[in-house]
Amino acid sequence: MQNAPSSKIAPEVNSISRRFSYTLIGVITILLIVFAATVIFFDINRIESEINRRLDNAIEFAQNSLPTPLWNLDYVVVNDFVDALFLDESIVYTKISWEDKVITEKVRPGFQVQKLETILPSTLFKGSIYISKSSDIQFKENKVSTILIVMSRESLRKKALLQIYGIIALSIIIIGAIWFTSIFITKRYISSPLLKLQESASSIAHGDLDTIVDKSSNDEIGLLAKHLDIMRGSIKGLFSKLKESKEKLEEYSRTLEHKVEARTRELARSVEELEALGEISQTVNTTLDLETVLTSIVRHAVQLSKADAGTIYEFDETEQVFVPRTNYGLSDEFIQAMRESKQRVGDKTVLGQSAEKRLPEQIPDLVNAPDYPISYMKQTDFRALLAVPLLRKDRHIGGLVVRRKVAGEFTDSIVNLLQTFAAQSVIAIHNARLFHEIEDKGREIEIANKHKSEFLANMSHELRTPLNAILGYTELIIDNIYGDVPEKIQEVLERVEKNGRHLLNLINDVLDLSKIEAGRLTLSLNEYSMDDIIQTVFTSVEALAAEKNLDLNVKIRGVLNTGKGDEQRIAQVILNLLGNAIKFTEQGKIEVEATISNESFLVSITDTGPGLSEPDQKRIFEEFRQADGSSTRVKGGTGLGLSISKKIVEMHGGRIWVDSNLGKGSTFSFTLPIRVEMQMELK
Amino acid sequence: MTKAILVIEDHEDNRRIIRDLLTSAGYEIIETKSAGEGVTAAEKHRPALILMDIQLPDFDGYEATRRIKANPSLCQIPIIAVTSYALSGDEVKAFEAGCDAYVTKPFSPRALLTKIREFLP
Repeated sequence: MQNAPSSKIAPEVNSISRRFSYTLIGVITILLIVFAATVIFFDINRIESEINRRLDNAIEFAQNSLPTPLWNLDYVVVNDFVDALFLDESIVYTKISWEDKVITEKVRPGFQVQKLETILPSTLFKGSIYISKSSDIQFKENKVSTILIVMSRESLRKKALLQIYGIIALSIIIIGAIWFTSIFITKRYISSPLLKLQESASSIAHGDLDTIVDKSSNDEIGLLAKHLDIMRGSIKGLFSKLKESKEKLEEYSRTLEHKVEARTRELARSVEELEALGEISQTVNTTLDLETVLTSIVRHAVQLSKADAGTIYEFDETEQVFVPRTNYGLSDEFIQAMRESKQRVGDKTVLGQSAEKRLPEQIPDLVNAPDYPISYMKQTDFRALLAVPLLRKDRHIGGLVVRRKVAGEFTDSIVNLLQTFAAQSVIAIHNARLFHEIEDKGREIEIANKHKSEFLANMSHELRTPLNAILGYTELIIDNIYGDVPEKIQEVLERVEKNGRHLLNLINDVLDLSKIEAGRLTLSLNEYSMDDIIQTVFTSVEALAAEKNLDLNVKIRGVLNTGKGDEQRIAQVILNLLGNAIKFTEQGKIEVEATISNESFLVSITDTGPGLSEPDQKRIFEEFRQADGSSTRVKGGTGLGLSISKKIVEMHGGRIWVDSNLGKGSTFSFTLPIRVEMQMELK
Repeated sequence: MTKAILVIEDHEDNRRIIRDLLTSAGYEIIETKSAGEGVTAAEKHRPALILMDIQLPDFDGYEATRRIKANPSLCQIPIIAVTSYALSGDEVKAFEAGCDAYVTKPFSPRALLTKIREFLP
């Protein structure tokens, strides 16, 4: 702003004085030329008329003087007269003649008479320089002669030219004088003061607001200078105000900077706190190892509170004392001393007080608390203590204590932060306790479950032994081993046998299932032929199907490779499915189909039985499920067969399912990897 | 060689059932209650067939079978194992030990007799 381009303007400026003098000189020159032209014009006219007048005078003079001498023929006088005429230097030729006879003739040297003929009426500068006039000279009405006078304009012209030169010279002198004067005046009174003013303005523009403006003259320029000075004063005032404002602004921005810095520090601290909290809550949520969580909490608590050491105590409810659980920044001796001193709720320590009040408690300077009950604290250089209680539903869980070597109050923000940490600690301790409880419960449940399975396994074995005897004796009696049995008793015994067998099957299934559940069933994986298994099962149920007039047939599609798996269990599955199909189908046919698809055996048993509703299809593989609860009693069966089959198939890594339409029969299918090298773990 | 059948079975009722069944079928039977007694009896009586229970008080039926089959003079005697229910996996072990056949407990006397007659027509 201060470096205004005024300095650049200066050289481009056309000097006012020069412009002024050019204009003035132009105008004056024109005026002078007009004036000179006018003067010359009138002068020429005057000279011309002067010549004409002198010529006329000469003629008149001749007319007055000559008649008598001529009449008298006194030619001496005539000649004298002509000589007298020639006193006028302008007259160059005079001739007095009578008819064609020349009386007298006088020629000024240099003038050629021959040219007379060419003399025409003319003006001073136009045409000939000569002018002529002739007139008759009469004596008493008689013409006595003719006089011709030729006058030269030469001398007059010279005179006129001299006058013109004079005028021109004068004009030039006047112009020069005016020019000089105007330049001097404009320079002296306009240009210089203006230039000075310009310099002052330029200085002002360049920022020198103390420039002295010359305002001594009392003309317009002086006025301008005065105003410029006023302006300078105003600008100076404005500048000082501006400077003041600028300083204020700078001051303000400095303050603002400080504020921003302070706020940034605060934010950084908040971020740090949030990060710590985030880390802690993540640890709390992901780690069930209480030690890890509490170590993280106590470390962050000490670091963020700018303390030197910290401890998280856990409250022992049976002993009613605080036990130091996790420490940070403490010597082994201190920790040992801390373990030995048993702090309780209500003790005059920060921990005891904070627990009693259920509020944070601090001692800003231990020097001012000479009665502080913890003796070992005196051997340390800790000065300030802060304790925050750990509470859960108003019950004491423990306490968080931080210790600082610098005396002074812990700020509210730190106290708040530590309260948050305390809350996290409570959650962590509570989580850990819950986890341990759950773990214990889980273990208990696992043990109980195993006991149950083992009980069932043992129980069914024990149940079977007497049942075995019952069935054995019954069969022997029926077979008349002990003598003939009356038909009525025979029939009853057959019912006894039938029920006994049902009971036995039930016990066997329960035994199987409990064995599977107790994880005691190990598949014996050996090579087998699927064709053979199907054939064996087919043979064993053929009679049953025939008994009900059911059409039973087997379809093997393609070549069934040699499989690897537990042959007996696979047979058990097929037997179970086929047995069910025969049991539930009253008429029609049952078809066993086997093929290989996707590296697995696919075995399907399709019947024309009652079929299954959709909900039943979903439940059918669950334990103790049959399509209709009542059918168990009518059709026999334990309701465990499908469940066991499912488990066996799954232990082989296969899948079992049913497709059915109510009233149109069912198809039970299962897949079985051709070669099973490893028993699958059941879910 | 008589058609005596050695029954090695610790459960009294089972012994009685087998005894009643086989006696009525015309077989002579020798009864023992433990594996050790059974092996001794086999050596002593050289029965035509042995019915071997698996769960026995001193040592199990597999071991008894191995001992009998290890004896060249006894190895021709067919041994029918009376195994527990199918899922136990006893049958495989029974064949591995050298048994010639098996019936699963609880056995049907009729089925047992059928099986014995396969070996002793």
